[in-house]
Amino acid sequence: MPIKVSSLTGSGNYFEDFEVGAKLRHARGTTIGEVENQLLTKLVLNTADGHYNEHRMEGTAFGRRLVFGLITGSVCIGLATQDTGENALAELGLNGIKFTSPVFHGDTLYAYSEVLEKRDSDRDDAGIVRFKHWGTKQDGKIVFEGERTVLIKRRSHWGDR
Amino acid sequence: MEVSDLRRGDVAADLLLFDTAPDTHLLRIHLMAEPDFTQFKLVRKGHQFEDFHEGQVFEHHWGRTINAGDNSLFTTVILAHCPLYFNAEFARAHGHPDVVVNPMLIACVVVGISVEDLSEAGGPFLGINGLEFHRPLYPGDTLSARSTVISKRESASRRDFGIVTWCTEARNQRDELVISYERTNLVARRGGRSL
Repeated sequence: MPIKVSSLTGSGNYFEDFEVGAKLRHARGTTIGEVENQLLTKLVLNTADGHYNEHRMEGTAFGRRLVFGLITGSVCIGLATQDTGENALAELGLNGIKFTSPVFHGDTLYAYSEVLEKRDSDRDDAGIVRFKHWGTKQDGKIVFEGERTVLIKRRSHWGDR
Repeated sequence: MEVSDLRRGDVAADLLLFDTAPDTHLLRIHLMAEPDFTQFKLVRKGHQFEDFHEGQVFEHHWGRTINAGDNSLFTTVILAHCPLYFNAEFARAHGHPDVVVNPMLIACVVVGISVEDLSEAGGPFLGINGLEFHRPLYPGDTLSARSTVISKRESASRRDFGIVTWCTEARNQRDELVISYERTNLVARRGGRSL
């Protein structure tokens, strides 16, 4: 028996729910440690040991391991995903990805989003939303920013499926 | 050899034979010299600014098959709470054959296997632009990646670095385009200070 997919996701984040200019502060944060940086950086075969060699980094201006930027970006987009991609059909792309300040083990990340644009797609059951995302550390300093374009279900087609 | 002949640093041999002579109570020790690691040649990794030229193509090493465990671990650790990535029945109800590989995992793996060729020798990341996810990837699919140097220039503010931009593309095992993007880094110059 097929599952009722709309019962498994939230009801306030369909295409119709996003308004251009809306600003979202995402509820959860996460502290970055060995699992987020060291494990995931190695899992994705990033060979730059500045992300996982504490001894070598002690001899640099940073003084300790730097968190791999794309892990910072992935966590910030992850923190925004329930509110901006739980009812996505597909992630389409990213643009303007920047890491504006270093992140270290022990830092805590939070995410913020703004709806920049929404438009029809080439299918009736979903539309395209472009978000700007920011990630900050516990002191409010911005560490990540970038745009993300997502194909999101329309409630009119998916809200009761 | 008598014990008193030993000098500091002579120990730590990987072959030590103790032979105590009952009459003299002398300890005879056969030592192998400890290796002098300063004489070992460093196997260098990565490329520096001078190694890049416009149009140069890198076929990156290794490739990577993404399995279900990679996807579940990555998706849950980054808190990407969309069931397409961790509920196979939900994904099948959307026409997929299995869970969908989290697109950020694709991006991270493709950057990961390009690091030795492009950025391991040191230099901060400046940006990724024009990233497109062209088609979904599923557990068991294999990524391979290549990059082309699209520009290089001097850094006005950092004399020890130059700025290089690459276009990176990754394909699945059927040679179908999965992801493409442009990445720009500061790249250490030969002989300059690295980070």
